[in-house]
Amino acid sequence: MLLDSLTVDDGAFATATGWAAKPEGLCKGDVCVPAPGARRDDGALDVTVVADRLGMPLVHDEARGRWALGPATVGGRALTTAEAPDLELPDRDGNPFGLSALHGRKVLVVAWASW
Amino acid sequence: MVTVALDAKAEWAYPFIDAAAPTHPSLIDSRHVTDELFGFTNVPMAVWIDEQGMLVRPAEQATIERSPLRDLDIPEGLPDRMRVMFEQVKAIPDPSEGYREALVDWVRHGATSRFALAPDEVVARSRPLGADEARAAACFELGQEVWRTEGNEAAVPWFREAHRLDPSNWTYKRQAWTFVTTPDGSAEPDLMQGPNDVYEGNWLDDVLAAGGGARYYPPLQL
Repeated sequence: MLLDSLTVDDGAFATATGWAAKPEGLCKGDVCVPAPGARRDDGALDVTVVADRLGMPLVHDEARGRWALGPATVGGRALTTAEAPDLELPDRDGNPFGLSALHGRKVLVVAWASW
Repeated sequence: MVTVALDAKAEWAYPFIDAAAPTHPSLIDSRHVTDELFGFTNVPMAVWIDEQGMLVRPAEQATIERSPLRDLDIPEGLPDRMRVMFEQVKAIPDPSEGYREALVDWVRHGATSRFALAPDEVVARSRPLGADEARAAACFELGQEVWRTEGNEAAVPWFREAHRLDPSNWTYKRQAWTFVTTPDGSAEPDLMQGPNDVYEGNWLDDVLAAGGGARYYPPLQL
């Protein structure tokens, strides 16, 4: 997740990472990680606290004043939960398509590339 | 089925999509977000999602047809480097028959298919993700953003760092190599991804360093 500051709206954070800020902590699927101090007084999330609790690397591009927050390492695996992310991507014509549109059907998601 | 092109330069994916004229959703992931969300590290790889929106298989090598490259007779007289490249491509495992059978079995039998994994097993079989791999993902994301906004030369340091931290991630490597080995103005990406002046690595030498084509994908455990 790319950031221009070290605070982030919880909705944007959830959309980008799948981790939702709840009273019990930061949650993804059925996994919740306690995160005291993560929510600031203004309601935004403190990225440094979140990164620490979830084991997310926070990489700073000093020249451009930008940060990138890497994936959570709390479980030590690429997947923290088996719940599929609510992914939305554009098609060939730029029309957005969300995986949630296929809920109720089996889905095979195949990654390929031109390279 | 949903196909996702992991192509920062989306227009390179267009000719393939146009030729295939898919009737399924055919999406373009120009920011490589699915790499991180699912754990894709090469192509083709796939995940299975059931009717309840649960992953029942993590990211793994996925193919349902044997590639003709596996059975190609290597022409005589090729330059050594080209010959070795063909040899390594032919050595890449071809699990197409078993994978296709597994996929059909799941489609027919759903949760009772022996190939549909329990949630804990899906997570346990997903790619190990440590501090270096996670940091590589962040560096690759920064690299992509700089590539989009400033061009390839400025992005190279971030791509190089991603490669250093996560050398087994072929998606990071092949995407970045293609940017420097494809001639300017070419409508198609360079697939050879050979030695170049920008990166220490290249497709053939990195495949050989990783143990050869036989180890190009994590072993498929059906």
